[in-house]
Amino acid sequence: MNQPHIFHEIDNAMTGLKDKVLLMASLTRQNLERAIQALLTRDLDLSRMVIGDDSDVDDLEVKIDQQGMDILVRFHPVASDLRLVITSMKTAHNLERISDHAVTIAKRAKKICKSSEPLETTIIEPLYTMAEKLLRDALLAYTDTNTELGASLKSCDKVLDTAHKEVVALLSSRLENANGRAENLLHLILVARSLERIGDLAVNIGEDAVFLTEARDIRHSQLKESPDTGT
Amino acid sequence: MPDLLEKPVTAPTSTAAVEIRNVSFSYGSSQALKDITLDLKENEVTAFIGPSGCGKSTLLRCINRMNDEIIGTRITHGEILVEGINIHHPSVDVVKLRRDVGMVFQKSNPFPSSIFENVAFGLRMRGERNKTVIAQTVEESLKSAALWDEVKDRLQESALGLSGGQQQRLCIARTIAVKPLVVLMDEPCSALDPIATAKVEELIWNLKHDYTFVIVTHNMQQAARVSDRTAFFYMGELIEFSDTKRMFSNPRVRKTEEYITGRFG
Repeated sequence: MNQPHIFHEIDNAMTGLKDKVLLMASLTRQNLERAIQALLTRDLDLSRMVIGDDSDVDDLEVKIDQQGMDILVRFHPVASDLRLVITSMKTAHNLERISDHAVTIAKRAKKICKSSEPLETTIIEPLYTMAEKLLRDALLAYTDTNTELGASLKSCDKVLDTAHKEVVALLSSRLENANGRAENLLHLILVARSLERIGDLAVNIGEDAVFLTEARDIRHSQLKESPDTGT
Repeated sequence: MPDLLEKPVTAPTSTAAVEIRNVSFSYGSSQALKDITLDLKENEVTAFIGPSGCGKSTLLRCINRMNDEIIGTRITHGEILVEGINIHHPSVDVVKLRRDVGMVFQKSNPFPSSIFENVAFGLRMRGERNKTVIAQTVEESLKSAALWDEVKDRLQESALGLSGGQQQRLCIARTIAVKPLVVLMDEPCSALDPIATAKVEELIWNLKHDYTFVIVTHNMQQAARVSDRTAFFYMGELIEFSDTKRMFSNPRVRKTEEYITGRFG
């Protein structure tokens, strides 16, 4: 646990920044959950809600960037303070993209809802479970500065990638005899792709959490040892 | 024993212009430095940072034996080598040492004479009598200190008529006119406005190819901007000494982190 800054306004600014990231994370997870529910339960209203609420996430990303800039300009943070500002801004960017994928899922759900043809939407449920867990763990790694958890996400994402390929293969095989369901199956393939991408973005957040705590860049294995930071 | 003033003094034995070996220093019974060891590399800028009273200025002043002037002070242990020569060796001439290890102070201190004479002073003290050589060196030094264009038409005017920033750059020109090995700077920008500070920093950056700089500063951003390596002192001890980028992005020692982020209580 870090000591407070002598100039308390720095602590207030840092806490404010982190709180905004947590609020954004909470809204993003809610959007994702609602988008999947809309798909599984064929709930048109819920789809519309997800699409509408995305602007709140977008607004928060802008506010986090502004506050990060303010902190850089006013306090010239260094070391762990600088890493917190950089990581928070990057996490906000990743969360905004995750929320965009939730919107993509909601839009596909809307189209599927409008079709009278039945569809096996539950096929993508395991992908959602994995993607949601990856996102939850990534955010835990950021809030609790849990580097072990942050670094472990890459291997979990590989499981999601494999499952994604299997689901896409299954849905593609059904396309041949889809008759009138072909369009909906394609929508479902795109939903699966969004979930796979959410896993990748969660990995990014986990990697940034490792940088936040240890100043170690694990994004690309060949750059594990950074000469600039001496790590 | 080579004369510190004769150049080249010796072929450097290492890339360190200054080697500080296990130095302890006391003001009477009060120990100001405790077993300090660090190398100041040639053609690099090394910043000394730390809270007031941590010993950073004391160590800086040890490098050209400025502390010799203070009664009751002494290096109780260790040695300091400049270009491989122990500066406390009986054959070392302190006046010559201070020419080779020049110093720029917190407050600019031009002599109450002309701009030209301020820069020529060290050359004349060294015994240079050739007016052409003196004039050339004064011009080169003022150009190196990025002051020539501002003063070339009033070289015979009093140096005291210059602005604070110009006076500080004049002091730097005066220091480098005698071609020192090392330039020590004790908070050289603390009394300057941001523009004058930027000019001095630009000067340090450009001159480090020819000189070795050591700068004591309370300004963290200045240390981060101009130095290659940074040493953090606390209560007479060297807490951490590392690459400046490393120091300000991921310091190894918790106390350093607390100091540079302003959590020092």
